[in-house]
Amino acid sequence: MRELRLPEAVAEDMVAHCLEGRPNEACGIIASSDGEVVKVFRMTNADASPVRYSLDTREQFAAYEKLDQERWDLAGVFHSHTRTDAFPSPTDVREAREDVPYIIVSLAQDPATIRAFRIVKENWTDAEGDIQEIPVVVEG
Amino acid sequence: MAVEVRIPTVFRKYTDGRSTVELESGTIGDLVTQLEGRYPGMREQLLTPEGQLHRFVNVYVNDEDARYLDKLDTKVSDGDTVSLLPSVAGG
Ligand SMILES: [Zn+2]
Repeated sequence: MRELRLPEAVAEDMVAHCLEGRPNEACGIIASSDGEVVKVFRMTNADASPVRYSLDTREQFAAYEKLDQERWDLAGVFHSHTRTDAFPSPTDVREAREDVPYIIVSLAQDPATIRAFRIVKENWTDAEGDIQEIPVVVEG
Repeated sequence: MAVEVRIPTVFRKYTDGRSTVELESGTIGDLVTQLEGRYPGMREQLLTPEGQLHRFVNVYVNDEDARYLDKLDTKVSDGDTVSLLPSVAGG
């Protein structure tokens, strides 16, 4: 993937969810249809923590079902960093399982910054992975 | 009638690319054993060396997370659907 194109409304929706989640990290997924990102699924951070997140597993299941029904693709997963840069933390690398862009919304500065990365692993259970940035283009 | 197991992309290299597998009813633990029999390597993907479900895989019976049921002892009946999903987490 050369770049991740996000409609402005999608970017705003993700940032708004992340701001509302403070002081904890917030998370969710985004869906695409024919390569266009069409939907943000805001989810509960089951860890309710400022330094950890995990998608609420029931919400995750419901969202993936919706993807199936609509024939959408999982375009990425996102979470916030409330005080640090939009770059994968060691925990992010260790826990990465999905082979889709991991989008990080940093709230450390105003306005928020959004960057996306693939964490490439030989085996999905590996703790180590290569971080490859995918440029994010917000389309107004 | 059997149990349909839905396989996410991350596991499909073990299942010859199949996205669903039909298994006999039983507990989730039984299903893991059946999966391993058919697709060697799957057990290690799903269970820790101690035999517990890996925290980075979610197992659902119909639409309920098995962690909220009886975990590996959860009974799965004919006609039920078992879905596997990778957990999404980080920090
Ligand atoms: Zn992170």
